[in-house]
Amino acid sequence: MSIAHTPLIDIQKIVYTYPQQKKDEVDGLASSAVLREVDLRVMQGEYVVLLGHNGSGKSTLARHCNALLLPDSGRVLIDGQDSRDVAKQRRIRESVGMIFQNPDNQIIATVVEDDIAWALTVRGLAVDIIRERVATVMEAVGISELRQLQPSKLSGGQRQRVAIAGVLALRPRCIIADEATSMLDPLSRREITGLLHQLHEEYGLTIMQVTHLLEEAALAERVVIMEQGKIILDGPPEVILRDIERLRELKLALPEPLQLAVRLREAGVSISPAALTIEAIVEELVH
Amino acid sequence: MSAGIIVVRHLYHTYQTGALSKAALVDINLEIEAGSCVAIIGVTGSGKSTLVQHFNGLLRPTQGSVVVDGIDVGARSADLLALRRRVGMLFQFPEAQLFAPTVYADVAFGPQRMGISRREVRVRVFNALDTVGLPHQQYAGRSPYDLSGGQMRRAALAGVLAMSPSILVLDEPTVGLDAEGHAEFYSYLQRIQREQGVTIVLVTHDMTEVAHLADRLFILHDGQLVMQGTPRTLFAEVEQLRNWGLAAPPLSELLAALRAQGMAIPASVFTLDEAFDAFIQDQVEIH
Repeated sequence: MSIAHTPLIDIQKIVYTYPQQKKDEVDGLASSAVLREVDLRVMQGEYVVLLGHNGSGKSTLARHCNALLLPDSGRVLIDGQDSRDVAKQRRIRESVGMIFQNPDNQIIATVVEDDIAWALTVRGLAVDIIRERVATVMEAVGISELRQLQPSKLSGGQRQRVAIAGVLALRPRCIIADEATSMLDPLSRREITGLLHQLHEEYGLTIMQVTHLLEEAALAERVVIMEQGKIILDGPPEVILRDIERLRELKLALPEPLQLAVRLREAGVSISPAALTIEAIVEELVH
Repeated sequence: MSAGIIVVRHLYHTYQTGALSKAALVDINLEIEAGSCVAIIGVTGSGKSTLVQHFNGLLRPTQGSVVVDGIDVGARSADLLALRRRVGMLFQFPEAQLFAPTVYADVAFGPQRMGISRREVRVRVFNALDTVGLPHQQYAGRSPYDLSGGQMRRAALAGVLAMSPSILVLDEPTVGLDAEGHAEFYSYLQRIQREQGVTIVLVTHDMTEVAHLADRLFILHDGQLVMQGTPRTLFAEVEQLRNWGLAAPPLSELLAALRAQGMAIPASVFTLDEAFDAFIQDQVEIH
């Protein structure tokens, strides 16, 4: 019982300043802290989008969720384990996997299936278990037919799938995608976001998607907006994305179909504020 | 038809020869008008980078001709040094090429090698910095590494501008920047086009980026020029674009979906204001 109510990610009042800025800074915390007393709880199975413009602190926060960064003060509990506890860090990193903007930074092998198998190999798993798991995750992310290819020959979207498969092979409970779509073309971007949603639905994986794109936020269950190292908004997208003026102040650009929907609503056309995607807006306008 | 500043006739490019040969460009014909802004669009591997590398002589035609600002790139006698001074190239993630201790030194690197006086170099560097929104009094003495991502990219653009090119070729110039960074970069670029008459060639896989910027688009697919025209005419072809792996801007997709549902939205509707007017003033039938 109690386990179900423990948040998977429990961030308590964390403050963080990058070491270089700490050195430069004479007067301490106030001006250079990237995270300023951030609190955030994410339950198992949630799909959260962490939104903010460049420099808002969203990536820094994400990196605290798998002990890549450790807070200066406050604490981060992953499934109840404190990220500062060195003995727990390996387990934390296995339960929270990360993918980044540039998949090339985490692809190391010269053949797709070897790359996905790598983290399992170094953990000393039996060959047949490795083989089975690699086949399963490649199937799950839709790259089975690419298994013998060189990662460098793949498109950006395919390489990002390889990176996701590599993380999935460790059977994490949560995947954090840190701007994982921002280098991709629009169609690949949608495919990767679609894949994250599919993994969320099929396997109940907790997903935290870090982005500056409102169209990705529109698809989430929960949207958390960061600004200057603080969480300033937290709620379902139909509530958060309603306030265009506020979003504009936060330097977040509302996609044009949504802007049109908002303007039409203001002009008296009946469109539900919950219609946040092109499909939903079409549905509203047609019926 | 006015003579283009870039004229490409029956261009073929083949990488390697013999058994491994691969046709990267097949019979490309296009003309780019002086002072215009055009975009070359296609997915990874469509040949767009190969094409623009002919514009400053990084590649030579296998067959056919490329004439840039009067210089025949394919000619054995072509003055490549003169060509490269006239054609400024900004590659992806240009901030990775910033290297000098100050912004001034970085931007001055190119012009200092052009055999012009120190005074002239200084004038050019200051002008270039002012043009990209990094006022020289404030930024010239700073380290490029202290700039934000968007500012670093504009500093790299200033380095190219200081060479006074007549043509600017930019490969995915805003990848990885947030909405504000995009908008800023493009507003400075438009100013350069308007005030200095520089011809701008954008290379991108994201058509949304160029919807309101480019005068003309050239779409490449599998090494062939499959379509060209104004954004307004091309973006009406949502289905066709998708076949080439390209996504039309979200608003064009919304309008196409509504038309497919039988709504009488004129094909000429393209901008947000036009769409709004079509619904409100022209009373498109909303059920």
